[in-house]
Amino acid sequence: MHPTEPGLTEHDPEWFKRAVFYEVLVRSFKDSNGDGVGDLAGLTEKLDYIAWLGVDCVWLPPFYTSPLRDGGYDISDYTDIPSDVGSVEDFKAFLDGAHHRGLRVIVDFVLNHTSDQHPWFQASRSDPDGPYGDFYVWSDTDDRWSKARIIFVDTESSNWTWDPVRGQYFWHRFYSHQPDLNFDNPAVHQAMFDALAFWLDLGIDGFRLDAVPYLYERDGTDGENLPETHEFLRKLRRYVDDNYPDRILLAEANQWPSDVVDYFGDFESGGDECHMCFHFPVMPRIFMAVRRESRYPVSEILDETPPIPSKCQWGIFLRNHDELTLEMVTDEDRDYMWGEYAKDPRMKANIGIRRRLAPLLDNDLNQMELFTALLLSLPGSPVLYYGDEIGMGDNIWLGDRDGVRTPMQWTPDRNAGFSTANPGRLHLPATMDPVFGYQAVNVEAELENTSSLLQWTRRMVHVRKDHPAFGLGTFSDLGGSNPSILSYAREFGDDTVLCVNNLSRFPQPVELDLRKWEGAEPIEMLGGVRFPRIGELPYLLTLGSHGFYWFRIPRTTED
Amino acid sequence: MKSADDHAALTISPMHRAYLTNQRWFGGKGRDFDVRAVHELSWLSEPPGAGEWPVTRVELVEIGYEDGDLETYQVPVAYYPEKQDRLEHAYIGEVENQQLGRAFAYDALHDRSATVYWLRGIIDERVTPDARFSRLETGDELTEEPSLALTAEQSNTSLVYGEQSLLKVFRKVADGRNPDIEIHQALTLDGCDKVAALLGWMSGRWTNASGKTVTADLAMLQRFLRTASNGWELALTSVRDLMAEGDLHADEVGGDFAGESERLGATTGEVHAELAKLFATARWSAPQLSELADQMTARLVDTVAAVPQLKPYAPALRGIFDDVRGLAGPVPVQRVHGDLHLGQTMRTVRGWKLIDFEGEPAKPLAGRVALDSPLRDIAAMLRSFDYAAQSMTTSPNAHDQAGFRAVEWTGRNRSAFLDGYAALTGTDPRDQRSLLLAYEMDKAVYESMYESRNRPSWLPIPLGSIERQLANPVAEVDA
Repeated sequence: MHPTEPGLTEHDPEWFKRAVFYEVLVRSFKDSNGDGVGDLAGLTEKLDYIAWLGVDCVWLPPFYTSPLRDGGYDISDYTDIPSDVGSVEDFKAFLDGAHHRGLRVIVDFVLNHTSDQHPWFQASRSDPDGPYGDFYVWSDTDDRWSKARIIFVDTESSNWTWDPVRGQYFWHRFYSHQPDLNFDNPAVHQAMFDALAFWLDLGIDGFRLDAVPYLYERDGTDGENLPETHEFLRKLRRYVDDNYPDRILLAEANQWPSDVVDYFGDFESGGDECHMCFHFPVMPRIFMAVRRESRYPVSEILDETPPIPSKCQWGIFLRNHDELTLEMVTDEDRDYMWGEYAKDPRMKANIGIRRRLAPLLDNDLNQMELFTALLLSLPGSPVLYYGDEIGMGDNIWLGDRDGVRTPMQWTPDRNAGFSTANPGRLHLPATMDPVFGYQAVNVEAELENTSSLLQWTRRMVHVRKDHPAFGLGTFSDLGGSNPSILSYAREFGDDTVLCVNNLSRFPQPVELDLRKWEGAEPIEMLGGVRFPRIGELPYLLTLGSHGFYWFRIPRTTED
Repeated sequence: MKSADDHAALTISPMHRAYLTNQRWFGGKGRDFDVRAVHELSWLSEPPGAGEWPVTRVELVEIGYEDGDLETYQVPVAYYPEKQDRLEHAYIGEVENQQLGRAFAYDALHDRSATVYWLRGIIDERVTPDARFSRLETGDELTEEPSLALTAEQSNTSLVYGEQSLLKVFRKVADGRNPDIEIHQALTLDGCDKVAALLGWMSGRWTNASGKTVTADLAMLQRFLRTASNGWELALTSVRDLMAEGDLHADEVGGDFAGESERLGATTGEVHAELAKLFATARWSAPQLSELADQMTARLVDTVAAVPQLKPYAPALRGIFDDVRGLAGPVPVQRVHGDLHLGQTMRTVRGWKLIDFEGEPAKPLAGRVALDSPLRDIAAMLRSFDYAAQSMTTSPNAHDQAGFRAVEWTGRNRSAFLDGYAALTGTDPRDQRSLLLAYEMDKAVYESMYESRNRPSWLPIPLGSIERQLANPVAEVDA
């Protein structure tokens, strides 16, 4: 199906290793019909913008039929789309439009649980002996698997909830309205494969698999990363590889990299589970490193990150639709991050911080640029979150995680150009505060301003595209004389890129040992300016506050 | 192995003399001295005449001061028949003799075509008539790579081979085992990862001007801490961050260093425990404690004579030192670092490491390997935290709050360091408050002398600390 699409290259099994991803919430991006809810037709209208930005793949969090009690991650029908978002035909049109522009599309898929409104669960409650009786995890008592931690500690007190209809407890690792599916039941596997095939047949390019570590439960364990879970993922991967080449599985496993690496599967064969996994700890570490003005939080976590199979890739991000996750930091670091970045208690959510990039960084353009430069140059495929490219703010007064899901700000006009609906009818209000509101921050204004964050981000994304070293290259930390400077080389074949980042708010000098490239003249990649030749002695650079350089190191024979 | 009356020494010594006086690592600046002899070890390269340049060897320059002190400095030399522009910064001088003809001498450590002999010597465990290269079996693979001389050092010269190893060449050398090698060897063999592993070393033998055979360690090769940065730089980063936030306290700013200080305390504790396990230990009772008090008091007397600003504090300091005599004891003593400060610590991606176990360079070798209380090192680190903070307040544009913030930073990080040390070793240095205070004040007295001689604008740092400690000795340690 893909090779015939006009915009995409032919068979390209490693596209995801070079790609920049762009996460878009359909309901918050563009409303085409004035009902106050963003929809697939609106998203299709904005494909030119997304393609212009230069990203390679759009990631859509779930837009399946859902009671929307968990941002759509509570799915009540895996193969249907609610009418306010559009139809399967609308989705197909969007997909074709994306492919036509050379954009790929991945969608979220929730394996672990459904909504309690899903017909399977309703049938399982009312008819324990029926075909869905064994689709969920039921128990007469609520004391099994007590080692499994409670993830949403703010709202849940147990992983078991009593169901008065069936007269049993059901198991849920997340909210009590999201019962876990029973992966010990082969019929559940088949139901999942059928649902996945529905979307793969439409032509999507992959799935982000939500909450994969929790598929199984076993006595005496914490119910995370169990061998049975990996066995299922291998089975899923074989199914996708055999039937749908070039499609990817991206795992969300919020674990330490040393555990996450198991989700890539077998090392020798290049990986036989997921193609990609998110690298969670690198994100809070970037924030810590800049606040501490020390490279060690980042250098350490990258040093502790194990090598991954050859056909796999990390996904990295600064912010996404969830809170800034602090599960993957130490307690000491978490207290610190809360103190630094969540000064108001409402900014905290679960074990994280619910803020967008710009307000987290006090709307400091230098820092936003530095963070984005880090995101685009550290190992892994970067994921941009819609709106961060223009520096959108958040609304901490909205419930749960909605504060970072407000409508995309297109213009300074009514409803930020997102919708023609009565403002009171919007599914989430557009941000109106004086600093981050849509009258100050919007795509239209930033398109007209060549020095805007949007234009800058686009330039960086395009520079990244020209250099395979960013996506495919090795990473080596260069250390250097100054602990506030994080510098590293990315190398792939002849392509060598050198990144030097000043994590401090003060100007800093650094001496780097670049003898490996002695004789070369580094070329700054944004402006093309040649820097002094690398000699025998340490290479001296000075950087402005929160400044950075991307250099290309030409081969010495190159003029 | 040649003596002072050798012809080469006579012709070369003026060149060495001029060269020495311009080197950072030369300890005799400002004192009058004579070159008594230049001892030339065997060629490390092919000897001259083979047609290969440079020819390289180690030369040892023995000097004598007016007061009779003798010192020997190591100068590895690379000779070329023509001037080498690329090595201009390492130029020593011109010689003409029978062996070399007319030749130009350069400091070999800055010449990567010469430095290869040290690495190769260790890899091959080479033995020459007057030098021996040794290798420690650590599992490290050593391959020949070009070197780069590092520039930051005071008393030695270090160079890095590729990214794998660091060669430290001792400049002032002495008969006997170098404590830096001795300690690194023991810790490396014991698997301690709080130091940079020792990979090998070089020693040499010659007969000195007095006719005595000297066997001295000349260089050591260690695993290079590739992405490390110096603890002093890292601490200054934190202080700088605090100073930029006049209205925030030390525990509120993003650059808070207490976590690092605590881990550094634990690292120091671990190294002390290793040293106690691997080397001799002893216990000091009244006679030795009295001797310690005498040394501290003597230093105080000397310093007050040279630094009149210290005089108002002398009676109280004397009291602190006298308290040492009356300590209940016995006080456990062991091998220690001897010159510990933030600049002797390296932050790596795998935690802190301590470097440079040479002891206080000014002391003779016997004094540097003598047993001492680990409180000596701890007190020195406490002083170093004070220095890091106060060094940022001496600037003329430091704001009024700076002094207050500096004291706050120092207190917070000293406490964290001591907490980390206590948690790891199970011994809280604050339980030996009198002795810790005495060591710390002794160090501050030493600093007063040093600063008044070398950096008068920094003299207020030790003096200010002494004043604060005397005003409230408990608060400074408990802060």
